[in-house]
Amino acid sequence: MTPFSPRCDPACRRPENGRAALMVLVVTALSVVALAFWFARRPAGPGILQEITPGGEIVASIRSDPSTYNRYAPGGANAATELLSLLLHARLIRVDRATDELEPMLAEGWTRSDDGLTYTVRLRPGIAFSDGRPFTSADVLFSFRVAYDDGVRSPVRSAVEINGKPIEVSAPDDLTVVLRLPEPYAPGLRLLDNLPILPRHRLEGALGEGRFADAWSPSRPLDEIAGLGPFVLAEHVSGQRLVLTRNPQYFRRDASGVQLPYLDRLTLAVVPDQTAEALRLEAGETDLMYSGEIRPQDYASFQRAAGDGRLRLLDVGVGLDPDFLSFNLRPERARDPRAAWLLRREFRQAVSWAVDRQAIADTVYLGAAVPVSGPITPGNRTWHAPDLPAHPHDPARARALLASLGLEDRDGDGMLDDARGAPVRFSILTQAGHNRERVSTVVQEQLRQIGMAVDVVTMDPRGLFARWNAGDYDAMYFGLQASSTDPWLVPEFWLSSGAFHFWHPKQARPATEWEARIDALMRDHAGEADLDRRRQAFTDVQRLFAEQLPSIYFVAPRVTLATSARVLNPTPAPQIPQLLWSADTLAVSGPRR
Amino acid sequence: MPRAFVRFAVRRTLLAALTVLLVSSAAMALVRLAPGDALSDFEMSLEAAAAERERLGLDAPFLTQYAAWLGRAIRLDFGQSLKYRRPVQDLIGERVGNTVLLGASALLLATLIGLPAGILTGSRRGPLASLARGVSFALLSIPPLVTSFVLLLFAAATGLFPVGGMGALPGGGSIEVARYLALPCLAIALPMAAVIERLQSEAVRDALADPSVRAARARGCSRARLVWRHARRLSLKPVIALYGVLVGTVLSGSFVVEIVMAWPGLGALTYEALVARDLYLVAGCAAAGALCLSAGVLASDLALAVADPRVTEPS
Repeated sequence: MTPFSPRCDPACRRPENGRAALMVLVVTALSVVALAFWFARRPAGPGILQEITPGGEIVASIRSDPSTYNRYAPGGANAATELLSLLLHARLIRVDRATDELEPMLAEGWTRSDDGLTYTVRLRPGIAFSDGRPFTSADVLFSFRVAYDDGVRSPVRSAVEINGKPIEVSAPDDLTVVLRLPEPYAPGLRLLDNLPILPRHRLEGALGEGRFADAWSPSRPLDEIAGLGPFVLAEHVSGQRLVLTRNPQYFRRDASGVQLPYLDRLTLAVVPDQTAEALRLEAGETDLMYSGEIRPQDYASFQRAAGDGRLRLLDVGVGLDPDFLSFNLRPERARDPRAAWLLRREFRQAVSWAVDRQAIADTVYLGAAVPVSGPITPGNRTWHAPDLPAHPHDPARARALLASLGLEDRDGDGMLDDARGAPVRFSILTQAGHNRERVSTVVQEQLRQIGMAVDVVTMDPRGLFARWNAGDYDAMYFGLQASSTDPWLVPEFWLSSGAFHFWHPKQARPATEWEARIDALMRDHAGEADLDRRRQAFTDVQRLFAEQLPSIYFVAPRVTLATSARVLNPTPAPQIPQLLWSADTLAVSGPRR
Repeated sequence: MPRAFVRFAVRRTLLAALTVLLVSSAAMALVRLAPGDALSDFEMSLEAAAAERERLGLDAPFLTQYAAWLGRAIRLDFGQSLKYRRPVQDLIGERVGNTVLLGASALLLATLIGLPAGILTGSRRGPLASLARGVSFALLSIPPLVTSFVLLLFAAATGLFPVGGMGALPGGGSIEVARYLALPCLAIALPMAAVIERLQSEAVRDALADPSVRAARARGCSRARLVWRHARRLSLKPVIALYGVLVGTVLSGSFVVEIVMAWPGLGALTYEALVARDLYLVAGCAAAGALCLSAGVLASDLALAVADPRVTEPS
């Protein structure tokens, strides 16, 4: 009979049994305390307060190879080429994407004339290209010349024109550039963020011989490329990787006088599939993604990895470029039998009232999105207007608006019919395999609940562009990435004459009174130096937009970025590339896992 | 060499050349039919796109474009990629070797797994054979896309293999190559091994019922000798005939696997070309793929002709 047998007579229990039990309890308690102590002391990963030691390598993933290394060439507008432009070249002035403030780069400083038309920019002395040749004002003049060259047809051109007119550029000496604007321009020198400076000594010959578009193409030797940026392109293996090494001539230094970039090497690994890209980051094979944003479906596993100390998550806040449901409002649509309701503002308002934005945020973005009413999100702190008319989910109000258009259930099948007896049915074109497809499906179901039949048609982006360009669509759920947070730098969207005035582009004259009012507000304040007055004008623009709803905005995702725990000193920003825009100040600590 | 064999080889070679021409032409036509072109891009101004379209001849009628391309292709000039601004043959040349390496490795691995497994399941009953049969059925129903993602998850979770990519090639060592090749190869090989196993199993079962094998058994041949010497030889013919089709399976499987696992081969290049509506690169990739397929089928047909000369006789 054991000491703890239930049949043991209490008189049989020996005093040693109690002491043994107490010993077990004490040992157990001590073990628990020791374990807790050990877990508490276990480091979560290198902290941001760790001192930066120059050197090391970061591996970032990108989705595809660049088609050219030349940002100014006709094919230079793709994401990979733009990234290379940020890494290999420098600007006179750049926009700090974290603070949205102007930051002098190759420029040391500048002055502005009283009429706001002339800027005199002083260049930093003693700067050299990666091949050792000195940087002078002649290179700035050359860069503008290439941008405006009719033979080159550069995608950079529209970004450095003001209302379609070029800037006059002159150089009184090697370290001074004078910019004369064609008309007052409120954004001022912000547009120089779009102008990477080219080496005149390397490219002037190609420009003169009419072969500029082929200069710096992937078929040319890499050592033909020279730049003022933090890195030099050392290797490109098609379909696999681009390897950039530090530019020993780079002009920037940190506050301690240490020359930037901190990294010795930056490798861009080509990973076409988004799921594979996320897995490689989780596995520690890469340190960050070019589009650093985490997809909602990856958030849980990334959080676990962050908990284990393998990754670091950075919350950047609300994104800047929400997707939109834009109806085709071109005049030729008036011939459509459904025009009596499909082109009506009340119809668009009804759609906006019918959609449950919070449901989209919860279903598609797993809660990591905020409902929005217009194109300027709370993430754009300078220009967001918080008190715009909003449309909280109200199906009854939506039905009432549709009834005012004569749209009723005439045959008792639960679906609405128009005055002709035809079903209220339209299609939404959207991007296949993207969150946009999922949002479109949610919208489709919500509109079905108020009696509207919606067909969701998915296509790849080029197919979507072709249909949009031809005006061959009812509605499109898509998104555009603005080149700047300043709306006056995105006239192609806001002005009725703009090529990307999505619902009715390139109008010879404003087709509606409200578009004419927006055009007038934008034009009248294009040269407004007072930021508050310009903001008030743009608030009026946003109010008009919210009332007319040519495009309906539902949600803006919250942007969460991920890096490996070894990445130090990231400067996250909401605009792509959210982390690599400041690659010269990125550093690493320790080897890859 | 018998005259019938030579005539057979010439017929098959001409058919292969015709296949390459038809496939590449059809691919080019399909890309033209799809909405949008290489310059359909929200990032590009409409005026610049229109000017580029005119410069590159993309606004010409399709037959004009096709005739120009065909005239160059006959001289083995497949034009310039609209996306990469490089000769199409250079781009294909960089990638086709990677696809051949992946495909050949997958085919070899599938054979090494599938053939013995098929002989086992075709000649035996018992738990081991049942297990092998069950695994085959499971692998048959799993497409390479799913296999790829499962293997990627395995690599990410264990760290035993790289999560996609191709490592430090060219110039990397064989061990490094094998590490990056392992998972893409498995993703293609496993479903293919199941196909080979099923076919081999049926072929062995039929061979064991053959009168010659029964006669050998009556003479007292051991079971092992019956299976590995007599039945195996009889069962090879239908399996060899399958290899021509398997080359096609490898190519179509590698298309998806290369994209998911970032293996820089012809499949990944074709996908990029299709997404970019890169007319000439799509045609070139289709031609290269058709050439690989035709070469595989031709090799299989010739091997079959060697094994069984009766196939060279016209039916």
